[in-house]
Amino acid sequence: MCGINGIFAYHPASSAPQETELLRTREAMRARGPDGSGTWWSKDRHCALGHRRLSIIDLSDRASQPMASDDGRFVVVFNGEIYNYPQLRAELEKEGARFRTTSDTEALLHLYARHGDEMVHRLRGMFAFAIWDEGQRRLFLARDPYGIKPLYTANDGWTFRFASQVKALLAGGHVSRDPEPAGLVGFHLFGSVPEPFTLYRDVRALPAGHTQWVDAAGPREPRLFANFAEVLSKGAANPFSETELRERVRAGVRDSVRVHLLSDVEVGVFLSAGIDSGALLGLMRDEGQREIRAITLAFEEFRGTSDDEAPLAAKVCEQYGAHHIVRRLSQQEFVDDLPLILDAMDQPSIDGVNTWFVSKAAKEAGLKVAISGLGGDELLAGYPSFVDLPRWRRQFGLLATLPGLGRLARKFIGSVAPGFSRVRPKALGVLEYADTWAGAYLLRRGLFLPHELRKIMNVEIAQEGLRRLEPLRRLAANFRPDPGSDVARVCLLESAHYMRNQLLRDTDWAGMAHSLEIRVPLVDFTLLGALAPAIPALTQGAGKAALAEAPTVPLPDEIVTRAKSGFGVPIGAWMRVAVSGGSDSIGVPDPKGLVSRRWSRTVLNGASTTGQLELRVS
Amino acid sequence: MKPSPAMLAIVTDAFGGRGGIAQYNRDFLGALAEAGIMSSITVLPRQAPDLPEPPLMITQMPARLSRIAYSVTALRTTLFRSIDIVFCGHLFMAPLAALITRIKGAKLIIQVHGIEAWTRPSRAQRTALESADLVLCVSRYTRAAVLSWAAITPERVLVLANTVGEVFTPGENSTLRATLGLKGEQVLLTVGRMDSREHYKGHDRVIAAISDLVANGYDICYLIVGEGDDRGRLEALACDAGVSERVRFLGAVELQSLIELYRMADLFVMPSTGEGFGITFLEAMACGTPALGLRVAGATDALADGQLGTVVSETEFGVAIARLLAEPKPNPRVLAASTRDRFGRRAFAVGVDTMLKRLREAI
Repeated sequence: MCGINGIFAYHPASSAPQETELLRTREAMRARGPDGSGTWWSKDRHCALGHRRLSIIDLSDRASQPMASDDGRFVVVFNGEIYNYPQLRAELEKEGARFRTTSDTEALLHLYARHGDEMVHRLRGMFAFAIWDEGQRRLFLARDPYGIKPLYTANDGWTFRFASQVKALLAGGHVSRDPEPAGLVGFHLFGSVPEPFTLYRDVRALPAGHTQWVDAAGPREPRLFANFAEVLSKGAANPFSETELRERVRAGVRDSVRVHLLSDVEVGVFLSAGIDSGALLGLMRDEGQREIRAITLAFEEFRGTSDDEAPLAAKVCEQYGAHHIVRRLSQQEFVDDLPLILDAMDQPSIDGVNTWFVSKAAKEAGLKVAISGLGGDELLAGYPSFVDLPRWRRQFGLLATLPGLGRLARKFIGSVAPGFSRVRPKALGVLEYADTWAGAYLLRRGLFLPHELRKIMNVEIAQEGLRRLEPLRRLAANFRPDPGSDVARVCLLESAHYMRNQLLRDTDWAGMAHSLEIRVPLVDFTLLGALAPAIPALTQGAGKAALAEAPTVPLPDEIVTRAKSGFGVPIGAWMRVAVSGGSDSIGVPDPKGLVSRRWSRTVLNGASTTGQLELRVS
Repeated sequence: MKPSPAMLAIVTDAFGGRGGIAQYNRDFLGALAEAGIMSSITVLPRQAPDLPEPPLMITQMPARLSRIAYSVTALRTTLFRSIDIVFCGHLFMAPLAALITRIKGAKLIIQVHGIEAWTRPSRAQRTALESADLVLCVSRYTRAAVLSWAAITPERVLVLANTVGEVFTPGENSTLRATLGLKGEQVLLTVGRMDSREHYKGHDRVIAAISDLVANGYDICYLIVGEGDDRGRLEALACDAGVSERVRFLGAVELQSLIELYRMADLFVMPSTGEGFGITFLEAMACGTPALGLRVAGATDALADGQLGTVVSETEFGVAIARLLAEPKPNPRVLAASTRDRFGRRAFAVGVDTMLKRLREAI
């Protein structure tokens, strides 16, 4: 993990960037890269790049960034890892490229010199980078297919700016803090801010899987280079049999784990008592990693109870010969860290607290890199949404297509049974939203529903935000082309929305705050391509069962059995305490929903405090 | 894109028109014609009080002031011409331009100047703008205003700043001082409309400031060029402030006189709060005279964030006048050259090229 930033004053009337701004933005990302820093200026000083480094591959100073090509024409700032770097290097050297470092960053320079924008198709990994071409005087930006690494841009019409964090761009002092209604509405609807929006009108995310270039004619519209729907659709057209599932999962995930171990520093693992992280640990061992430190987050409240994950995680560690570190978390520590957590959030999110603490534990253990099992539920149909969404579509889809019926039913039930509508607002939405996959998904993942927004925010901002966000159209736009099966559609929605906008963002800010690189082998575009033919036929539990058997020595049965019933996490209860000062005038679907809704307001108020955004909500 | 596309320009005024918007349209369409990449440019103006003299490549149709007559003429023209690009010179005309664009399957460019974008426009105008392939704004502020109410991909909204005419250059100014009977006074100058509905140019602020400065011993004369129905109020204001003999309303002046006034002034001041851009800042600086404005709206672009002229907050305005008058006047030729580097014809042509490049990519 690193922090990158840049300023390109592209307009003929613009002033050259100021060094103070470049440094302010860069230093706001100090935690992302405590090992080193650098800046670079173009000859005319109209383009400047900044970098903060967390050294993972080639720890020497020669691999520092910004890094220029031998002839000085190309300069790169890069955040991430290119996992197929050894293979790329071999190919490039065969073509005559001469490397002066052993860093994957240098491969980007050689690839761009040879393939230009098309280079992105050759990359396997997590990345966000910018390459300045001094010859063409243009800037090229790219972000990995899943959007594991963040990249935010701001363009005021004269000057283009980018950085790994929204708050870093704002810290530069030249980017407007005017609010973006679509970002606000998105946060209320989903509990995280959906890209490309942020809370600020002038700051946008370069969408995942997109490239963008900027020259004297300004930034161009981002261009998609990695189409999930296409991969899933191709997979659906060439399905493999159920009997092949286990072997394919084993081969695909093992391959992904293998490439994710590329590092010049120790790679640890976040270990819960679930299948995903356990299987990854087993595969790390299969791939020959001898010393593995596994971090398990456990809770004081659960010590000695069946909800305590530590004993089962210890058993997995014992099986695979890993050194187990159990980090016990207390409510007091949660309360103590809460201001730091809110401050570290780059954009507000109702999740990410677990990742904060497990990253903290990894840092305490001296780790710089940790493997996480994030992504298993999206890839292998582990979420209840894989069952719920098709069911809702079958049961209510037809009824919901009747114009006005859903709204009428909601209003009628709201008047005759206000208690029900207060407790189950989303249940009423099924007749309103189940007519489309996008609608059903909004219902499944929604924190608030669109018609509830007027209760919690200014009506005009809500209307304008909905108009700009177009949540249903935006979700439906993922289906180009149609992925071809129910499971693939849900996989796509969960990957391109919940995982991208919430889980991966949380992983970034929470890991970044502790200078920790979190690697996610189950979030890998090559792996998705390999398993896409299996996805349409995945039945409940089959994917996870295959994953549990992926290591040479499969996960213990207890893990598979226990994972089905799940574990308790006290953080919800702690959040309830943390927000107990708030009022509860809005709907309360259930205790968990109540907490999430109230927690979201705490988080947004935290964002308004730390980001100087005038958004305080009641 | 065809090798030589044909353009229809829907504008309030251009050739034979007066004021900043007409000037901008002339500059823009003239630069397009000069670039030689259009097969034809047909201009439909609402008004043209002066004799239109468009360049060779450009055909300007007779002006139609009435909205209905204008729309009918525009649609009739549309039927019988090949049109690849529609240029709409004002947001108010965007719905008509969007309709023509749809009928002809053409590409749409909409120009936004300033005040028309400060507040949310009608739904029809907003929808038309959101359908545009490119939106050109005169300043970053105007662009930000457009993006505050339009759900449009931000990359489609570009800044193409005003340009300063070649006639505005530094030069001799002593004759005019004598003509105006000025002796040792330091001269402040504002050029701008005095509109009782707008008030945004900031004449009031200058009058208030010089009242304080005169009280502190400064020998100042404030010249105001421009017309408008707010003049009476401003005259009364100067009288009330006890500086009526130091404030001179010159009304509208000929171009040559205007240039000489710019050259003669010690400081151009326009503490405006609503400029889309502020072309007069450029004219003053191109004549070698330093300019002072507020860090508000489009003025920051014309003054290049303080790198060409001076931008201050409203509270700092009076102090800034005193400071700038106390400093030696900058070298006029250096200031004029710096202004031209950013906003001269060459820079404008680069901007038009840029726009065309983007349009080609869009097509």
